[in-house]
Amino acid sequence: MAKTYDYLFKLLLIGDSGVGKTSILFRFSEDAFNISFISTIGIDFKIRTIDLDGKKVKLQIWDTAGQERFRTITTAYYRGSMGIMLVYDVTNEKSFENIKNWIRNIEENASADVEKMILGNKCDLDAKRQVSKERGEQLAIEYQIKFVETSAKDSLNVEYAFYTLARDIKAKMEKKQEASNPPGARSGAHQLRANEQQRKPTSWLSRCSVL
Amino acid sequence: MSSSSVEDIPDQCKDLFTQDGVLLKSCSGCSINELNSIGMLCIVRNPDGTKCIEWRPNDLITIDSDTQDQEWAVVNTIGRRQRTLSGNMTSDYATARARIIKIPLDDLKTFRVSRNNQQMQFSTKHGVWQMILYFQHGNAEIFLANLKTHVKTAKSRHERNAYVVVESNTEAQVLNKSFAELDIFTENPTDVVWGFVSNLRQRPYATTMEAFSKLTDIVYNGNEAMNDKRDMSEEVADLLTKSISAMEDTTTTTKSDEYEVISVKPTLPPRPCIPRGTPLSTEKWEGLQDTEGRVAEVDGVKQLIFRGGVAHSIRHAVWKYLLDYYPWNMGHSEIKNLQRRKTEEYFSMKLQWRSMTEGQESRFSEYRDRKSLVEKDVNRTDRTHPFFTGDNNPNLVVLQDILMTYVMYNFDLGYVQGMSDILAPILLLLGNEVDSFWCFAGFMDRIAPNFDMDQAGMKQQLLHLQQLLTFASPELAHHLAQKDSGNMYFCFRWLLVWFKREFSHRDIMRLWEVLWTGLPCANFHLLICVAILDAEKDILISKDYGFTEILKHVNDLSMRLDVDKILSAAEGIYHQIVSAQHLTDQIRVIIGLPTVGTTSQTEGDDDSGDESPTGSQSEAASHSRSESTSHLRSEATTVNGNGTENNDQRVLFTPEMDEVTLEYNGLQISIVTKTVWALLA
Repeated sequence: MAKTYDYLFKLLLIGDSGVGKTSILFRFSEDAFNISFISTIGIDFKIRTIDLDGKKVKLQIWDTAGQERFRTITTAYYRGSMGIMLVYDVTNEKSFENIKNWIRNIEENASADVEKMILGNKCDLDAKRQVSKERGEQLAIEYQIKFVETSAKDSLNVEYAFYTLARDIKAKMEKKQEASNPPGARSGAHQLRANEQQRKPTSWLSRCSVL
Repeated sequence: MSSSSVEDIPDQCKDLFTQDGVLLKSCSGCSINELNSIGMLCIVRNPDGTKCIEWRPNDLITIDSDTQDQEWAVVNTIGRRQRTLSGNMTSDYATARARIIKIPLDDLKTFRVSRNNQQMQFSTKHGVWQMILYFQHGNAEIFLANLKTHVKTAKSRHERNAYVVVESNTEAQVLNKSFAELDIFTENPTDVVWGFVSNLRQRPYATTMEAFSKLTDIVYNGNEAMNDKRDMSEEVADLLTKSISAMEDTTTTTKSDEYEVISVKPTLPPRPCIPRGTPLSTEKWEGLQDTEGRVAEVDGVKQLIFRGGVAHSIRHAVWKYLLDYYPWNMGHSEIKNLQRRKTEEYFSMKLQWRSMTEGQESRFSEYRDRKSLVEKDVNRTDRTHPFFTGDNNPNLVVLQDILMTYVMYNFDLGYVQGMSDILAPILLLLGNEVDSFWCFAGFMDRIAPNFDMDQAGMKQQLLHLQQLLTFASPELAHHLAQKDSGNMYFCFRWLLVWFKREFSHRDIMRLWEVLWTGLPCANFHLLICVAILDAEKDILISKDYGFTEILKHVNDLSMRLDVDKILSAAEGIYHQIVSAQHLTDQIRVIIGLPTVGTTSQTEGDDDSGDESPTGSQSEAASHSRSESTSHLRSEATTVNGNGTENNDQRVLFTPEMDEVTLEYNGLQISIVTKTVWALLA
């Protein structure tokens, strides 16, 4: 079957319960918002194919249950993810503090070279804000991770966040590709196609799967 | 390999094993016409005692049967294949025979099974596959298992699922001799490996250590007889290789990251089709209560509910009994007292958290965290249902109050995501805060392990589910294992909230009340999972769904499932399992049957949570022994539930099943006692 995309990236949304992971995903994949979403039990994923610098990039975005208790199950799905969105709720101090724990969780369960990004969600609720934008930026600098405040409700920065993460993954992948390919062969070779990536046994490239 | 005519006198050859539906894909030196034709694969013993693999085209067999040839008549009775009328019916014997392809077993070097048991390749020369066969039914493992009883093999180190034929006789003698000298077992030498294997399977650690300890004994204490023997490590390697390949003969092995499950090859009896009954009606329910409102025939009530659920108009009453809020044997006046006590108890617990000051709360982080979790989930529980819809819906406050009070009732467990899903249908039905709380608490008592901090309860259920599926639907279990999904994590949501997210409110009420009866066995909810998955088996396998597609497909089944069909299928699967000849203790334990192979009796499954009906453990054990016959007969079970209210729901069983007729106020209810009650113990 012909591929309808050039790359397939597996992304992951993690963060405390109720920070808006499913809402962010729903905004990005369906461009919709519903104030009374149901909580995520277990794990699910959605797909959206985006155009990135002339390439079709299929994003397979995994949504996980946030409660700590379910982590033994959800971490099983970290394997093979190339990018992770760490989400906190700007109206919930605790969810911001827990970002550090989530980063530790990633270090233990995901591949070392996974791309990360911190999202401070619900930035539309300014009246209830408990975490300032500056503190978010400070944390991001501390961990050298990109950061943006988002609002799934107002559709603010959600597209930007996913495009940025996808672009970073693509750049990292192509850099690796250049490093492993002799320069002479490069001009005609272009990038790896999704189905070719599967044969590569190393790191997260090998976990590309075809939907 | 020789592709030649049969030179032996036909009636002295003997078919040791035959398997049909085998397509010849390629074969060096054979006529091109033969390729892609269907035939039968056999293991044949020649008159001189040597054996060979034979592939015979189907049309050839047809010719033979048409000519009433004695020898082939045998093949035809064993073959059970569909006759094909295509092909050259006019061929004479000699040319027909020339079309048989033979590989003498003595020449066979390696063989390999691939493509999910659909393909087998044979080689008589290193590096070349002489014959490739395609198994239409994907059952190459059957032929493989039989072949391995005729040749000694070892797993290839270089190729997956490939087997190397071991130079047999001399090595086997050496091994047997060394076994005898080692005196590990006293049985005759051929039983040695089997004895080791069967022990290894049941107590792998102890058996291995025992065998090894004997080896080390000899090493340290010296043994004259061993001096001229092969290197000790070789002996051990051989022992293990042989025992592993011997195990493969009779077992399928499913591997996942965390566990390995070995189970016997399945031959389940056909699945009985058991129709659902009609719901327990108001009349029947009233008829089952005495003048004081006590229910004596609890087992009968549960049996009725298991068969058809509860009519919606009396659910609010019956659920209180099913969820252990009201004891069945309590009369009206006692229940009034109980209600008063339970109401007081509820409100005193509610007061505990309601009276917490802000200051207290600020210094009580664990409480605060739980409260915040509850608030978040209450706002996103069944909000599309009219009962919970809209802003400032008072029912949301009640939902929150009950969950918060439950935090005080069971602070160790607290609030875990999923609990609001469990409570919502109960509150929706009962409306009353106190009743809903106690019914919810009763439900939680049964499923508390789902919410363990370390998720041990969920993991155990997922493992049990995997084991049940391997037993009841081995092909699917095999597929899942191959696709990295053997841990069954994709069923997590089903199990955590008992399918709440998969069905509409109406259907989930039906499913839950049926499951609460604890019939027909422990962990019946796992058989519900098996039934759903089994119905999706063809899609999952034929489309060759992988890890992500399996999860997506299963998640997307939500709200597309037919509760009655699933209940019926799950009950059918239950009967298949309990009447299977090869029912293992592992499965018995999961479904709460007494084990037969070990001395420890009826160690009830820890999370079964069923009330034991009348009857002692020993009775239950004796029932289960006579059970295989009665379950087979239960295929004849029919349920006559017809719509008219005056008509009884009569459950008809065959006489062997200890039918009991209950009579209340002129209503007659026939129920079976023997089978089901025995399993509840």
